[in-house]
Amino acid sequence: MSRMFRSRSWFGGGWGRPKNPHSLEHLKYLYNVLSRNQTVSEHNRGLLVETLRSIAEILIWGDQNDSSVFDFFLEKNMLSFFLRIMRQRSGGSSFVCVQLLQTLNILFENIRNETSLYYLLSNNHVNSIIVHKFDFSDEEVMAYYISFLKTLSLKLNAHTIHFFYNEHTNDFPLYTEAIKFFNHPESMVRIAVRTLTLNVYKVEDASMLAFIRDRTAAPYFSNIVWFIGKHIQELDNCVRNDADHQSQNRLSDLVAEHLDHLHYLNDILCLNITDLNQVLTDHLLHKLLIPLYIFSLSKRITPLNDAASTNLHRLIQNRALSLDCTSSPHHENTINVAKVSCVVALFLLSQVFLILSHGPLVETLAWIILKTDRVNYEQRVDKLLERYNTEMKVQKQKIEESTSESSAQCNSEEPVNDSIMEERKNITDEEKQRLATSPAETSPFVEKPFLETILNSLDCTDNDYTSLFSLCLFYAVANNKGITSDVIDQILKPKKSFVCKSSNNKDVKYSYNVSLVDKILHIIMLACQPTCRVRLVTLDLALKLLIQLVICDGRSILLESHKLTIEAAKSQSTALLRNFYKSEEIFLDMFEHEYYDMQKVLLNVERLCMDSAILLPPTGTPMTGIDFTKRLPCGEVERARRAIRVFFLVRDSVLTLNGDVETQLPLTNPRSCVQIDQALDLSISRYNSDLIGCTVIYKDGTKMRRFLVIDILQLILVEPDTKRLGWGVAKLVGFLQDIEVSGDKDDSRCLHITIHRPLSGTTTNRIPLLSAKFVFDDNIRCMAAKQRLTKGRIKARQKKMQHIARLLEIPGQSGPPSPAFIGSSSGGYTSRQMGRNRERSLFNRCPGIAAPKRENSPGIAHRSDVEARINRNSTESPNNLSKLRNEASQISKKEVRSRDSSTSNKTKSGDSSPRMPRPRSEEIPLELIKKASTSVIDMAPKISVLSRTQTPKMEQDQSLAESSGASKDTEKGVSLISSVSEETSFIAEESEQEKGLSFIETV
Amino acid sequence: MSYAYLFKYIIIGDTGVGKSCLLLQFTDKRFQPVHDLTIGVEFGARMITIDSKQIKLQIWDTAGQEAFRSITRSYYRGAAGALLVYDITRRETFNHLTTWLDDARQHSNSNMVIMLIGNKSDLESRREVKKEEGEAFAREHGLVFMETSAKTAANVEEAFINTAKEIYEKIQEGVFDINNEANGIKIGPQHSPTNPSLPGATGSSGSQGGGCC
Repeated sequence: MSRMFRSRSWFGGGWGRPKNPHSLEHLKYLYNVLSRNQTVSEHNRGLLVETLRSIAEILIWGDQNDSSVFDFFLEKNMLSFFLRIMRQRSGGSSFVCVQLLQTLNILFENIRNETSLYYLLSNNHVNSIIVHKFDFSDEEVMAYYISFLKTLSLKLNAHTIHFFYNEHTNDFPLYTEAIKFFNHPESMVRIAVRTLTLNVYKVEDASMLAFIRDRTAAPYFSNIVWFIGKHIQELDNCVRNDADHQSQNRLSDLVAEHLDHLHYLNDILCLNITDLNQVLTDHLLHKLLIPLYIFSLSKRITPLNDAASTNLHRLIQNRALSLDCTSSPHHENTINVAKVSCVVALFLLSQVFLILSHGPLVETLAWIILKTDRVNYEQRVDKLLERYNTEMKVQKQKIEESTSESSAQCNSEEPVNDSIMEERKNITDEEKQRLATSPAETSPFVEKPFLETILNSLDCTDNDYTSLFSLCLFYAVANNKGITSDVIDQILKPKKSFVCKSSNNKDVKYSYNVSLVDKILHIIMLACQPTCRVRLVTLDLALKLLIQLVICDGRSILLESHKLTIEAAKSQSTALLRNFYKSEEIFLDMFEHEYYDMQKVLLNVERLCMDSAILLPPTGTPMTGIDFTKRLPCGEVERARRAIRVFFLVRDSVLTLNGDVETQLPLTNPRSCVQIDQALDLSISRYNSDLIGCTVIYKDGTKMRRFLVIDILQLILVEPDTKRLGWGVAKLVGFLQDIEVSGDKDDSRCLHITIHRPLSGTTTNRIPLLSAKFVFDDNIRCMAAKQRLTKGRIKARQKKMQHIARLLEIPGQSGPPSPAFIGSSSGGYTSRQMGRNRERSLFNRCPGIAAPKRENSPGIAHRSDVEARINRNSTESPNNLSKLRNEASQISKKEVRSRDSSTSNKTKSGDSSPRMPRPRSEEIPLELIKKASTSVIDMAPKISVLSRTQTPKMEQDQSLAESSGASKDTEKGVSLISSVSEETSFIAEESEQEKGLSFIETV
Repeated sequence: MSYAYLFKYIIIGDTGVGKSCLLLQFTDKRFQPVHDLTIGVEFGARMITIDSKQIKLQIWDTAGQEAFRSITRSYYRGAAGALLVYDITRRETFNHLTTWLDDARQHSNSNMVIMLIGNKSDLESRREVKKEEGEAFAREHGLVFMETSAKTAANVEEAFINTAKEIYEKIQEGVFDINNEANGIKIGPQHSPTNPSLPGATGSSGSQGGGCC
């Protein structure tokens, strides 16, 4: 553009042009040029463009430096030249118009002197420019024009508004011209229009706002509403026709567009202009939210559809009559007012409740969704709203009455919904049970068509496609800040009421929506089944909602029967994860990775409802690019990951419900770890036994003298503390579980050590924490270090695996010795040797001569061999690595088993601290003997469960794929429940079993 | 003027960091930087050439709209490139970058190219943010970084053009869905056989524009 202008400009050699382009003289010169070239022609076009451009430059310079410049501009009424030029339709005028608009843009954007601004606006030229019909088909003209209007709108305030809005002629061209482009195909133009409208509404000027309301609000808002409706049908079509996830881009645009609409509406509503909000709310409710969104929830074909469509037809007609927008498309072909699918309606309503918070709007909507009964439903939108209004009045009266009465009096006649169960302190469990399961409770919902649809959608027996949206909607309604009345009490919030026992003794009575919680628990139970079709995000949200529903005054008011169900879900999720435990060494890495991944991204429902991917039927394939939590698992690894996450989610919720704090996770307690620059007392036995001096040589050649300390979980490089003798300062810490060690084939005193970054790190940086060569004083120390590092790595991992085993309630593997168990005796022997060695070898003493000998013992040689292979192959691919690690784990398993048995008796003692003294392997036999009498009996049922977990998973999958598989699983689930809920009473346990059965039968 | 592609940019950053001046500086070279004059605009367009293709850049300043969530949201979504600008002489404008970036990442499509600009590099004596800090921030967040001066025009061309180059490369790699205008990319009239009735095809002042393509 600029290049073109310059090449065309033959301005350079003009006569009389002052040398200084920034001066009053220059403006006078330009004025002369303008007055001599009042007609635009082929010949003077370039000259005019450059003149107009220069004027902008001089005026801004003048505004900032010399006020006489502006005076001259106003005195000569130069804006009138602008008007005259733009009104000429001769050749290439858009070329000149663009420059004109740029000059105006610069003028209004940069002017700082307020008086100048007022003068510029005072003669109504600007309004004439605004109403001028430019050639809007030229995208450049359009863009400059709309920017000009937007720039002007940013200058609006209580003073300047009168230059644009003329009270006498009732004219507001800046606004009325702009909204003609509200549906322009170019998104940037639409945004500019929206910005402008918001800037206008923001101005506090009563008469202007009255004008907006009386003259433009109805047509403008009904236009918006109509286009949103049309948009939604498009979205619905896209969902209906895209089961194969082919047009995800298109869908995500449509969803984002809908969000844009809602945010825009919310921005208007948040300005709190009463009159405007009333009109807007009215339009939204009558013409969009109720007829299209809410009525789509009803699956039944009733006369209502006609009513709804009549309404919409009326809306369209209204629109056509009041339509004064030139840019809006024609729509003779009235849109078919078919409803949208239930999924889409639920999704969109969730968005509405997540974004809009205007009280009158959201409360009405919530009331209609939750309280409309069949009778009202048959009526039209108007009646529905009428009913809502009368209901509200009645309620208000009631509140007034009740407050006027003495507070001591109990409100006993308050209507209590049959579906709501009251929890009294003296009620027996059986009674509760009976009440909770009484068939009468569900009946009221049947009479509420919209609520019924949402509740029915919670059924995940086939899949959780619609359930997720129902949960989203319930969550959104329950958490909407605009809903302050008790519309949602008891339905989506726990209710607290007072019961009088005697005159001065009151009992607090808590109640919650039992049937909704039933349904949510059903989802949770299903999600804990091995082959269910409930996505992680659905489970996450179900748990989140459950907690909101039943936590009141900081404690859970869950009924006993529901408590048992959630405990059963926990057992089931634990059992599910047990199936994957230790099948691969990578399990530990996965377990920790999933944990930190989940901590990083907590469920955000608003974010979730921005994702169009959930609008398409749930899929299992990662090829769609859909987030793991929002699809079903694919393959064995993902199934394991899913099981891990289900375990975490359910565990966390149960802890919250019980009011407990997590003490077991994460596996590494960061507070008990040594930090960099921490000073350590190396004289205590924990550190000094493993001190080995070495020189660390980094890749870049830097050398450092350090002492290697091998702690329980960490490898620490220390530097002697200069202040305190016998102390050292940690200069580098890494987790033993993340290290790789290999020898150097040329130098027997050298080790190559790589410490990978822990998975818990917040960064995605995968560069190793350290990758360096360690040189020891001699080959014996080198070998000792290698041995300890290798062993430390295994032990650190074992320790964590045991921790997981405790979490998963895996009983000590003290059953009949398997071949692996027998084989471990040799491993036990070596570790015992090592242990003894640990006690003896002290820093600076020559390690026992036995060390190199042990290196030759078969078990260790084998292990280090595998380790070496890992190191060799680590660069190839992570898969390869994990495969090799598996091999390593196969070998190390022997030791795990032996150590498992040693700690099995501590399972229940809550031994979580990594600092606990490690049980010595020497003690194993003793403990086994001591425990034998009780544990064998104790473990009997559990062993059978365990043996199942060790069956190859392929077989299990097949059995589950068959229909009979489900029942098998049921048995398993039940047996597990019974085996873990030992504390619960016999009766409860039995009912629990029934419960479990009833849940699973629906699978 | 016909073009192969049109890229829409937005400029974001705290007020007073020189966004609109950068915009004018790039889109209109006729406004030569002068010491006693600062002029900015909220919109500008310019043609550039990449890989011997004419590419039109449309740049929209988002100033003054921060109060409205719907507006920022929509702006981000409609842009293919963003210039995130801070003022090297005001530390706080640098400190706010994370907020801007979070916003951008949340609302924009994931392919949007973001360039970090430390503006007012001519005011070396008043510098509060070291160049290395800008570089480090950019590295950490995967942005391209440059220090510019709207006043002396230093690096201004490069900033906009390098961003365009990156967008162009992404188109070549097929990352951007160019048929979807919501991405902030439009195909020029002669390049869209699928949709010959693009608005850009009509009333283009290109008849006299001469010699592109």
